[in-house]
Amino acid sequence: MSNGSQGNGKPLKVIGKPFRKVDARAKCTGQTLFADDIVLPRMLFAKLLRSHVPHAFIKRIDVSRALSLAGVVAVITGKDLPIPYGILPVSQDEHTLCIDKVRFIGDPVAAIAAVDEDTAFEALSLIDVEYEQLDTIGSIEEALSKNEPRIHDYGDEGNIHKKVHLEFGSVEEGFAEADLIREDVFFYEGNTHLPMEQHAALARFDADNKLTLWSSTQTPHYVHRALARVLEISPSHVRVIATPNGGGFGGKSDPFNHEIAVCKLSRITGRPVKITLTREEVFYCHRGRHPVLMKVKTGVKKDGAITAMDFQSFLDGGAYGSYGVASTFYTGALQTVTYQIPRYRFRGLRAFTNKAPCGPKRGHGTPQPRFALEIQIDKIADELGLDPAEMRRKHLVPPNSLTANYLRVGSMGLDACIEKVVDASGWKEKFKRLPYGRGIGLACGSYLSGAGLPIYWNNMPHSGVQLRLDRQGGVCVMCGSTDIGQGSDSILAYIVAEVLGIDPFDIRVITADTDLTPVDLGSYSSRVTLMTGNAALQAAERARELLTLAVAEKLNAPIENITFAERRAFDVEHPEIGVGFAQAVELAEAKFGTIGTVGSYTPPPSAAQFKGGGVGPSPAYSYSAAIAEVAVDPDTGITKVEQIWIAHDVGQAINPVLVMGQVEGSVYMGLGEALMEDMAYRGKRNLVHKFPSLLEYKSPTTLEMCDVKTFLIQERDSAGPFGAKEVGQGPLLPIPPVIANAIYDAVGVRVDEVPITPEKVLAGIRAGAHGKEARYGPSSAPEITWPEALHVATPAEGGDGRAVPRDVVHK
Amino acid sequence: MIPRSFEYSAPGTLDEAVALLQKLGSDAKILSGGQSLIPMMKLRLASPPHIVDINRIPGLDYITEKDGFLRIGALVRESDLERSELVRSRFPILVDTTSVIADPLVRNQATVCGNLAHGDPANDHPATMLALGAIVVAVGPRGERDVPVENFFPALFTTALEADEILREIKIPIPPPSTGGAYLKLERKVGDYATAGVAVQITLNNSGACTAAAGIGLTNVGFTPIKAVKAEAFVKGKQLDQAAVKQASEIAAGESHPVDDIRGPADYKRDLVRVLTARAIVRALERVKGGV
Repeated sequence: MSNGSQGNGKPLKVIGKPFRKVDARAKCTGQTLFADDIVLPRMLFAKLLRSHVPHAFIKRIDVSRALSLAGVVAVITGKDLPIPYGILPVSQDEHTLCIDKVRFIGDPVAAIAAVDEDTAFEALSLIDVEYEQLDTIGSIEEALSKNEPRIHDYGDEGNIHKKVHLEFGSVEEGFAEADLIREDVFFYEGNTHLPMEQHAALARFDADNKLTLWSSTQTPHYVHRALARVLEISPSHVRVIATPNGGGFGGKSDPFNHEIAVCKLSRITGRPVKITLTREEVFYCHRGRHPVLMKVKTGVKKDGAITAMDFQSFLDGGAYGSYGVASTFYTGALQTVTYQIPRYRFRGLRAFTNKAPCGPKRGHGTPQPRFALEIQIDKIADELGLDPAEMRRKHLVPPNSLTANYLRVGSMGLDACIEKVVDASGWKEKFKRLPYGRGIGLACGSYLSGAGLPIYWNNMPHSGVQLRLDRQGGVCVMCGSTDIGQGSDSILAYIVAEVLGIDPFDIRVITADTDLTPVDLGSYSSRVTLMTGNAALQAAERARELLTLAVAEKLNAPIENITFAERRAFDVEHPEIGVGFAQAVELAEAKFGTIGTVGSYTPPPSAAQFKGGGVGPSPAYSYSAAIAEVAVDPDTGITKVEQIWIAHDVGQAINPVLVMGQVEGSVYMGLGEALMEDMAYRGKRNLVHKFPSLLEYKSPTTLEMCDVKTFLIQERDSAGPFGAKEVGQGPLLPIPPVIANAIYDAVGVRVDEVPITPEKVLAGIRAGAHGKEARYGPSSAPEITWPEALHVATPAEGGDGRAVPRDVVHK
Repeated sequence: MIPRSFEYSAPGTLDEAVALLQKLGSDAKILSGGQSLIPMMKLRLASPPHIVDINRIPGLDYITEKDGFLRIGALVRESDLERSELVRSRFPILVDTTSVIADPLVRNQATVCGNLAHGDPANDHPATMLALGAIVVAVGPRGERDVPVENFFPALFTTALEADEILREIKIPIPPPSTGGAYLKLERKVGDYATAGVAVQITLNNSGACTAAAGIGLTNVGFTPIKAVKAEAFVKGKQLDQAAVKQASEIAAGESHPVDDIRGPADYKRDLVRVLTARAIVRALERVKGGV
């Protein structure tokens, strides 16, 4: 996709303009149909019976009493769906309903379809399950020390799901060059997505035994795959329609047990079956932020230049694999794309525990290491007596470069981001100069604009768009992408409208329907604007080409003169000579037949050719810098975040209002993670979720939200449509560390873990007052045996992105 | 989720309501504002077979001053209290309290009397009423009786009300001149239960010393709302200088019995009682002098 073809240099009419979303009116007036709003004749309602014990063998399930309740139509258990599934090919470890073992409180064991929700709910209590309880694994430490009982019978060893060890260049040589080496330990507590819409799904088998599933999913393509496999039907007989999601944030990215259960129940009963999860059940679905313990060793020169970094992460994965292997690699992947790290080692471990499964949440595996990295950089600057903003700016990764771990950085606007927030916040007058109790901090971040590799490795496009033009001038854009509130439907319309010179609201957008739309892999990894945008751009340019030929012929004008704008196609040298857009389509249809074009996008090949190199590469990286000003009450430890300045390098804003919405939403979510959110469990053995409800799981409200001043940095990236990069996830990354760094400036306390609750700040203040280290956080990380490192020579060392063979390493 | 099905009555008079309660016994649950009852029913933590909705009984939504008492009727909403001129001018401590309960939408429905009748030590009005020396007026088949609020909370989620009694009114003695009060609550976020809360009401005599009317109440640091009697006894007759405030707040902290929970460790909460007590006394003193 060449940048030069985008708009032929004429001024942009749609891109960069604050148009409303194409679905805004329907959302505001309540016309949008979410999954739970869909009602079909003869529809049944389903409920899942979930385990109330954290780890047990299922000795017996008796559903006869439930089946005999009036209004109950069908009951299924694990043996009805014996085929396992899971989002990653390497972790096919879930069953729709547990067959012989439950692994966390909330694991489903039976599903009921009844004439109404109340009856289904009542019938749950009539299912008799006999459990033989097993010892539980409740933490990373316990998983390391207890191989038995094993939660799963696969994984690297005992209850360790995955261990990885990568080394890029000689880290020891790097540390030998350092003037200062810091070693710090951090902990990032788990938290959950909290979408407003609870997951819901509706399944219908039709008379030809073809299946349609409507579901609030971010990944209809992967649900499609799982359904065909588990239900043992041809994929061509499965249609998945992702309904508009009332928020996703990564929590609707796995194929889920409730989705498969309603399909099976519909097949058995011959009636449509719907399920809507309760808020409590959404907490059990989880797939949220992994709790991660991190140990970071970094060597620097006196000017803050990093000579080497050794990063260890320990992830508490919960009961299933989910995206966990990818999450593990992500905790080690993106450290290198902000500040130059010439030599880098990453060791990561993911443990299985008897808790709700963790997975991808906004930032997927990168907010935790970013928290550690940005605080450690702050500590290094403090120790070296350098300004943390200046120190960072001096050592940024240059644009168009290749990092030590083979990530190809294109445009890189972090310098401009830092400059912007430093100037806007009055950093130079405030840092280290505010009175005790007030403080200011800085942190940065970076994120992918889409994963460079698909979940199932293949050479096919990651995103496809089909465009249909009709003789009335109607334009329909069809794409598998899913609008989860981020505005991806609107992005498709804006891009096509720009290319064809029409109004975005002239366009009909049909998305996320596996029967009607070409495959898009899903709304995850901040991939949609870049990938579907490029596919839409290609499809629209191809359509414009057809129209151009027909119009040029009609107007007897040179092809290169034909321009599209204001719903017209005309000769740019004689703008009064032209045809309306509908007539242009008519002419093209007369000349070529029915007008339809396709576009698709495949990311460029990755430079990382080593095992594990599939996680991290992206066509482009976004950058953010944030500064926070806080007030800390030294008597109670309460932190009030007064203001955040944040600059985000988005390449090119397709719609600046939507971009700012994503930035502010990220700040909001980051504040919750920084200050209060906590996916915590009760007890050492029973592992009950402490508060699976919005009453007690605390997330900020508008009243806790601080003022946010947002700046967009637009350094166009040649990989993106019109130069666009991601914005949905990246701006969250600097928020947790920026709060921690600001608190240090305010009261001199390092809180090296989130959430930063008042009692932790107070404990740090007290420790300082008693002459101890004014710090709250973990003191050590487990000492374990890691697998032998996969050595990769860095680009600077002349490496080619492949692992160095073992015998060479040991020469 | 939806509540289990239940019978519903909406009596038109207090007598009818009491008769219903007498008939139904423990099967009945009174619905006033529903601040706690509705969520509990929604989550099926409570499934009362019979709801007696008192919202249609006329004449229970008064805030008046009569016979030396401020009187708050059973159907006075939190938002009524917030907006009442009488309350705003004479009882800033009540405005402190009501304005930190839940959120504005809930406060439009929630009742002040219900906040007491629920018997939850995490509710905010109990501590304030303890500090104010309020009296609860209960009505039942045997007529009306007054219950001093310090006797109203015998145990966790338990009140002095009989199953057939309704909390009809809260009576608060009109304070003498040179009185000030304040309620301070620390919460993790707006709308949350208190991590800890402290209510202080003090009256000064001519020489500036604290009179015997001093009241200190504590929220959510024990199984019941706590009247900090030792701290109250300590301040009586004292000039509340910095040292006295410090000592009083330490005594109050000693009277709290918090437990570790999701709002924080017990030690932290006890320390908060100390900090909040000191700050509430200082705020109350400012208000004695006409501050806001």
